[in-house]
Amino acid sequence: MKKFFKGIGQYFANFGTAVAKGDLWTRLSLVIMGMGYFGRKQIVKGILMTLIEIGFFMFTFQFSLTYLAKLGTLGTVQREEVFDPLTLTKTVNDYDNSLLILLCSIIGILFIVAFILLYISNMKTVYRLQQMKEEGKHINTFREDCRQMINNKFYITLLTLPSLGVIIINVIPILFMVCVAFTNYDAAHMPPSNLFTWVGLKNWGTLFSFNRNSGFGYAFIRILGWTLVWAAFATFTTYIGGILLAKFINNNNTKCKKLWRSLFVVTIAIPQFVTLLLVSKMFGTYGIVNGFCSRIGLTSFLKDIGLLSGSLNYIPFLSKPGWAHVMVILINIWIGVPYQMLIATGILMNIPNDQLESARIDGATNFQIFWKITMPYMLFVTGPSLITSFIGNINNFNVIFLLTGDYVTTNPMYAMANASETDLLITWLFKITTNSTTKQYYMASVIGIVVFVICAGLTLVTFSRMTKGDREEVYQ
Amino acid sequence: MKVKKTIKQIIRHLVLAALALFWLIPIIWLFVTALGAEKGINTNHFFPEKWSLDNFAQLFFRPDTVANFPAWFKNSFIIGCACCVISSVFVLMVAYAFSCMRFKGRKALMNFSIIIGMFPGVLSMLAIYFVMKLLGLNDSLIGLIVVYSAGSGLGYLICKGFFDTIPVSLREAAKIEGASELTTFVRIVIPLSKPMIVYTVINSFMAPWMDFVMARIMINSKEPANWTVSIGLYNILQRTLIGDYFAVFCAGGLIVAVPLSILFVIMQKFYVEGITGGAVKG
Repeated sequence: MKKFFKGIGQYFANFGTAVAKGDLWTRLSLVIMGMGYFGRKQIVKGILMTLIEIGFFMFTFQFSLTYLAKLGTLGTVQREEVFDPLTLTKTVNDYDNSLLILLCSIIGILFIVAFILLYISNMKTVYRLQQMKEEGKHINTFREDCRQMINNKFYITLLTLPSLGVIIINVIPILFMVCVAFTNYDAAHMPPSNLFTWVGLKNWGTLFSFNRNSGFGYAFIRILGWTLVWAAFATFTTYIGGILLAKFINNNNTKCKKLWRSLFVVTIAIPQFVTLLLVSKMFGTYGIVNGFCSRIGLTSFLKDIGLLSGSLNYIPFLSKPGWAHVMVILINIWIGVPYQMLIATGILMNIPNDQLESARIDGATNFQIFWKITMPYMLFVTGPSLITSFIGNINNFNVIFLLTGDYVTTNPMYAMANASETDLLITWLFKITTNSTTKQYYMASVIGIVVFVICAGLTLVTFSRMTKGDREEVYQ
Repeated sequence: MKVKKTIKQIIRHLVLAALALFWLIPIIWLFVTALGAEKGINTNHFFPEKWSLDNFAQLFFRPDTVANFPAWFKNSFIIGCACCVISSVFVLMVAYAFSCMRFKGRKALMNFSIIIGMFPGVLSMLAIYFVMKLLGLNDSLIGLIVVYSAGSGLGYLICKGFFDTIPVSLREAAKIEGASELTTFVRIVIPLSKPMIVYTVINSFMAPWMDFVMARIMINSKEPANWTVSIGLYNILQRTLIGDYFAVFCAGGLIVAVPLSILFVIMQKFYVEGITGGAVKG
């Protein structure tokens, strides 16, 4: 942390030196960014820099400033349509669109930040050029600069496009949604016909309110609990199952290993949304499994021992709490084990054979070998990916959404919050934004931020342990 | 002793067979329903009473107002291929930059990318939709391609793990011979990482091919010809349509699996190598 602040201090100090000690050309670049390059005969670079500067100011003053000015209120003029009976046309007033204001402001701010960074680094570069000139060193021509882009500075070439993509697809949307968590953006405040505005921390209060009129606090605690339980079960069952299956297939006594493996891999090849929808129909109220169960008498047997209430003549595999929770985890085993098996197979093959041999010579039983050698090795190799898959399961939208799509909650507290018992946080926020008539985007954002905090916390704890004593270059 | 061993062997294989059967039941059901003459969900028999190829014929040659499979398949295939190329290139580029080059801010960027990746995708999808609308790319194939591939640079971790295992001496030798970083990347590192490239390619093809949520948010068009396979197939399982289209859904599901199966079969060997190659590093 200290290093971090020191770095920032250094950053601005360098800028200060550049301004203080710069000659005429360097100081001129404070106003026109290309001047420093012109002075050192780097004409093309100078023109490019100046063009960037002009472009930035045109963009900011023509485009972003109009939006940035309204960022504080997110717009005040509501859309109004006036119907003119004489010309039979509708005229729309010059209304404010809160959504556009927020989005364009974020983009504008990003541009400004980027420009400031560029501006500072430009000053430093120009100052370095000045120093190089004074020391009589060779100053690169434009061609040499370009050559550098595939050499020492190849990383800039490599990272530019992907970073741009990440900014458009990840950074801007994330900033936008974080902002939405502090507004009242919902169906009643839907641009363009209506405005939404800032409400501060009110939505966070709603999430933790436990009174009878709002189901949010009630649903949030329960769904959070179920999400964690689900993630733990889903991760460990498939992990252990995958390793056991891989060991079973890889055993020397098994014939046709490839064939067995392929049989399981077939289930991966069919896209999840197909298999999940299919399985959910199999276990549906009038699905094939229920038909089978009632024919062999399982349904009535379950009724007799009291696991099933008398009024039902089917087994509510995916439509009653409890049943659905267990079924979802079981079906997830079906989905996840083949994949884990594939990964585990590769790793098991890499276990140094001499270790297993010597253990066997020393008289270890198979079970001991598995727990004392195989498992620690597996954990060492796949430990990080366990955390990743735990987080993946917290965010496992597909399994829950596609399996329990027909699930209707009977609990009014859940219903009030647009949730149901089997929802994970992630499917809950999706339902809030799409399935309901209220479309409380702000609540969805609040939940999203909670999920983010959970995941980020988990990652930070584990990654900081993992990267302790930087192992990155061990194998290079 | 020998008899006991044989019995053990038989039991082992029986258990495996039982497990395999259990895993394959839904797949078999998918298969036989697709080949059945009945259109709706068959609740009484596992196997259909009459067999026919009519579902496939309907799928391919008689697109109607609800199910337009040829168009869906075409859309998905275009998206899949385009993303496959763009994402793979992005991932390899980012992985090389982070693994093989040392520059200021590298660690910070890597940490930043991990944190960004933590944010729930479903939530940012909504905002992505707004961004795409601003760019005028919603409801279009290009928009979906951008959405699927632009952020793919974040998935560099496994690939970087693999690049980390390539001996640094190789690259140094190349540099002493006068190769630029670009040449090292294209001529040395890429040829050495075939398993990893295969893994990346499969993954980047599969992600859009199997995705459902993003497509559903991005494409609002009511015209089935603009849909992708996943939205289309999801749609025909609606309560009002399922009675007439369930078998068609099964047939469609099978067809969707074909490109993936081919990819898997060709690349299975590399696939296992690829995953572990990167994972050993951790």
